Amino acid sequence: MKEIYNMLKRENVRILPRVENWREAIHVAVQPLVDGGFCESRYIDEIIKNTEKLGPYYVLCENLALVHGSSDQGVLKRQMAVTLLREPIKFKEDGYDVRVLVTLAATDPESHMEALQAMSELFSTPENVEKVLNAETADEIYDLFVHAIDE
Amino acid sequence: MIRSIMCCCGSGLGSSMLVRMNVEKAVQKLGVSGVSVSHSSLSDATEGAADLFVVGKDLANFVKELPRVVILDNIMDKEELETKLKAEFEKE
Repeated sequence: MKEIYNMLKRENVRILPRVENWREAIHVAVQPLVDGGFCESRYIDEIIKNTEKLGPYYVLCENLALVHGSSDQGVLKRQMAVTLLREPIKFKEDGYDVRVLVTLAATDPESHMEALQAMSELFSTPENVEKVLNAETADEIYDLFVHAIDE
Repeated sequence: MIRSIMCCCGSGLGSSMLVRMNVEKAVQKLGVSGVSVSHSSLSDATEGAADLFVVGKDLANFVKELPRVVILDNIMDKEELETKLKAEFEKE
């Protein structure tokens, strides 16, 4: 079975109308992993602290943020979550508009590589990005992620 | 001589791994061999840890002390990476 099925559970893919600010974006993006027991709630605060110190280095391109902290900042088990926002949010004033929050809880530097390859593959094709942004259900988004590599 | 490239981000897990995957492809495409590519956190990015460092522009201020750095405007842009890496290899 492909590793992405272990890394991304269907219940960790959500669609939300909007958030007020980037801090709330991090809260909603990480919460599914807290609920599922994949990280401690302090992982949220640690990522916010990292961002205050270093800036939003995890905003990868237009529409996409790879929200994550370090393994020792409260990660319990390896997992990913995906949150689609109906309205975009900026992580800094002159930054990109972000609508897809991919949250990564990594337990070591290597074992999530396949999941990141899937994400990278998905976002390198503009038609697929459109499909994610226009998805009506979380099921559609889940399918796009888990099938990103074999398509 | 560039024998090692270290890609860095704040935590050394996510963005840096993506850049590392792209650097590995770019190095191969440029036909350069014998280069090891790694990904790590900024705190590991010290002089001597690698011959060349690659970071996104958000972190440019944190690597000013390092001798040889490629700064990426868009860390998902493979063409930008390839162009900048090519320039570095051509300096040799």
